[in-house]
Amino acid sequence: MGGTLAGGTDLMEDVAPMPHPLPDHLVIQGLSKRFGQTRVLSDIALGMPRGELLTLLGPSGCGKTTLLRQIAGLAQPDTGSIVLNGRDITHLPPHRRSVGVVFQNYALFPHLNVAGNVAFGLKLQKKSRAEVEAAVKRTLALVHLDHLADRPIRALSGGQQQRVALARALAVEPSVLLFDEALSALDRKLREAMQGELRRLLHQIGATAIFVTHDQEEALTMSDRVAVMHQGRIEQLADPKTLYDRPATAFALSFVGQSLQIRGKVTSSEAGYSTIATEIGQVLAPRGFLPGSEVIVATRPEHVRLCEGDNTLIGKVRAVTYQGPRSLVEIEAGTARILAELSGREVPPEPGRTVLFSWPATETLVYPAEESA
Amino acid sequence: MIAPAPLLPLDRETKLALGLASPAFLILAALFILPLALLLAVSLQGADGLSLAAYAKLLGTPHYLKIIWNSLSLALIVTAISLLIGYPASFAIARAKGHWRSLMLACLFLPLAASVIVKAFAWTILLRSTGIVNQTLLFLGIIDHPIRMIFTETALVVGAVNIFLPFMVLPIFSVVAQFDRRLSEAAATLGANPLQAFLKVTLPVTLPGVIAGVALVFSLSVSAYVVPTLLIGERFPTLASTIAKSYLLTREEAFGAASGVVLLAIAVAVVMLSARFGREGRR
Amino acid sequence: MNRIGLLTAWVMAISACIFLLAPLLVIAAASFSPTPVFDLPTSGASLRWYQRIGTLDGFWPALGLSLQLALVSTLVSLVLGTAAAIAIVRGRLPGAEAFAAALTSPLMMPGLVLGIALLQSFRGIGLSNPWTSLFLAHLVITLPYVARTMIAGMTRFDFTLIEAALTLGCTYRQSVLKVMIPALAPSFLVAGLFSFLASFDNYPVSIFLTDVRSKTLPIKMLQYIEEAPDPTIAALSSLILLGTILLLVLADRFVGLSRMAGTNE
Repeated sequence: MGGTLAGGTDLMEDVAPMPHPLPDHLVIQGLSKRFGQTRVLSDIALGMPRGELLTLLGPSGCGKTTLLRQIAGLAQPDTGSIVLNGRDITHLPPHRRSVGVVFQNYALFPHLNVAGNVAFGLKLQKKSRAEVEAAVKRTLALVHLDHLADRPIRALSGGQQQRVALARALAVEPSVLLFDEALSALDRKLREAMQGELRRLLHQIGATAIFVTHDQEEALTMSDRVAVMHQGRIEQLADPKTLYDRPATAFALSFVGQSLQIRGKVTSSEAGYSTIATEIGQVLAPRGFLPGSEVIVATRPEHVRLCEGDNTLIGKVRAVTYQGPRSLVEIEAGTARILAELSGREVPPEPGRTVLFSWPATETLVYPAEESA
Repeated sequence: MIAPAPLLPLDRETKLALGLASPAFLILAALFILPLALLLAVSLQGADGLSLAAYAKLLGTPHYLKIIWNSLSLALIVTAISLLIGYPASFAIARAKGHWRSLMLACLFLPLAASVIVKAFAWTILLRSTGIVNQTLLFLGIIDHPIRMIFTETALVVGAVNIFLPFMVLPIFSVVAQFDRRLSEAAATLGANPLQAFLKVTLPVTLPGVIAGVALVFSLSVSAYVVPTLLIGERFPTLASTIAKSYLLTREEAFGAASGVVLLAIAVAVVMLSARFGREGRR
Repeated sequence: MNRIGLLTAWVMAISACIFLLAPLLVIAAASFSPTPVFDLPTSGASLRWYQRIGTLDGFWPALGLSLQLALVSTLVSLVLGTAAAIAIVRGRLPGAEAFAAALTSPLMMPGLVLGIALLQSFRGIGLSNPWTSLFLAHLVITLPYVARTMIAGMTRFDFTLIEAALTLGCTYRQSVLKVMIPALAPSFLVAGLFSFLASFDNYPVSIFLTDVRSKTLPIKMLQYIEEAPDPTIAALSSLILLGTILLLVLADRFVGLSRMAGTNE
């Protein structure tokens, strides 16, 4: 079920659904939660096949952590159900759920060393000493920490602690793994390295995992699918490419990646194409719309060319930011702020110059004006 | 901030530090260490020169051994009861927020500020035949005539626990308040039911506070003087009352000193044991 | 935490609070008793015992002695203890840890033993003046409280705050005055409070160093209780308690009871 919104509008393209011959490993339906007057989660539904890596992406307060904690059993929903591996776990306490959690601050037991932490869940399963030791060794090897088995926790670096937390959760072979902003405490380079490594490792062992993050780059890097959440709802559930190229809502557009957005009004619509009048010119969009509707047109900066094209507009260069592999050109056009991305090799225009810019009509995104984020 | 290594053995900064610390050091040495050493020396005085006669009397006579046992058993009971009450109570206080927490902490601090004498005196009032406790029990129909509570061992234990409970709660509270609840959550996600999570995670991690509280209450109650004197008197002689008697009444200095040394040894043993267990807890 | 555990915790906490407050409430109630016998509940209220406090035999000298001892020894200990704490935490003192442990060790030692040890020593050097002996003894009683509180406070103090002040234009001295002193003031107050109370309420050390004419207030009070207990003692205790409550309220205002109990809130 890729690419469709919960409660979606009919303004977006349909994406062909992915084939799922097996029943979903994790099925969530109708999950809601209220704190006093605030609806923290509204009618959440999603299904994950076995082995999928899914990210819950959104700003703070969108409900992603609440949802994760409910899946873990650390919080209770008001309504709805969570079915894991065919078993309804909605009202089970966490220790009966077979859900592994890697916490943001790792929550490693300070009174146990590395091996002790990893063995903790195994020892509760009444395995023999030999079995436990073998499993600990195996899991530590998986995260490349086998040489640190006897270290006390406080002697480890942040990255090492993170791996111990992961190993500890993996050791008990949970049905699903949950990561609660687990990489946010690492510095940038380490975080990027861990993102790739985690993804490889999880795919290697065929784990089903859910990540919670507010970092959209992390979401795009690590996931098979991303659920963009906003104010307690899932706005879009799609694979990273679809999410990036065809965000379902203005919020998803703004939250993931850069964009330029201009308000306008639909003037005409025929044969699957609409013309939208904006204050700085006419824009062509590749779908039908009700003439007269107030909309927001948008596209990604990398589609913008500083020359004439399908949707030619005019504006003045305000600033140019060099970023190494690319440059971002800020263009002032009427009241809109336009971002154009040039490759670092191109020579950017000088600030103050008037330029023509355009993008392909096929890359025009349109949203109802009320959605403006 | 890492200071550069000193080039000379006694550079200016070290001299300054020594200067700041010496008055306190002198007081400590002259008024604490030396007197205790002298006490040890006095305890070894016999009729003619060094002798262990005082210790022989103290540790060899059943009468005095019973007295030592009195003090130890009182300490054990008081510590155990205080721990049973204080450990759970700390969790509640740690979870309380704002005014409730301040209120409960005030209940702990306020008695600390009242003198032992005042509190023990209050218990004599509470536990008399006409006191509140008896009145309540009569009212509830649990007894049909007032029972004698003053000058019983029950009164002693109740009063002692009342005096020493804050000393158990405060060290435990300071550790429990910093206990990361996510550790319990992690244990739950790893398959531990609430009891297992408590025994295998919460308890070991809060153990340093427990050890500190136990050590403090034990050493305070083993040397309790005012509380036994007021609440039970001569019926329950303690090591402390023996010391007081030797010095204030019978003027048996060597014996009194020996008793003091033994009491001190118990306190020191408690401290050292707690330090060792505190360290072991951090594997 | 599961329900049973939580319930136990709250039951214990509330029971403990009531249990701990009970003697204090009894004393306060008894102080208003209209009769010389401690009948509770009282059949009326009377302030006569409060009026009688001043007439207790030897009361004023004892109060004066206790107050003076507490104030002087607290002040001296605050100065010397803070200096030692600075040396231990920030100075490069050889054997700092051992010294810190030694400084705070009297807190765990039975006061009684210290009392007789000091008695021996003072007799040994021919010191028989009770005022001097008491003063010296109370120095040793109060110093560990100051040392413990100030060492803890300074260890918690983040010295990069001084560096920040320096980069904002303060001289080293100004940084200490404007940043460190205010940050350490709460510890200072708490240290002073604990020391004062430790000295004012002390019995086990003082009993050996007083003589017939110079007694501290706790010793006098025990004497009253043993000889002729009447509600005057309760009235006196209530007043002392009231004073302490005021001190604690101030302490909570400036420091916060949570912080005094050792948390970082």
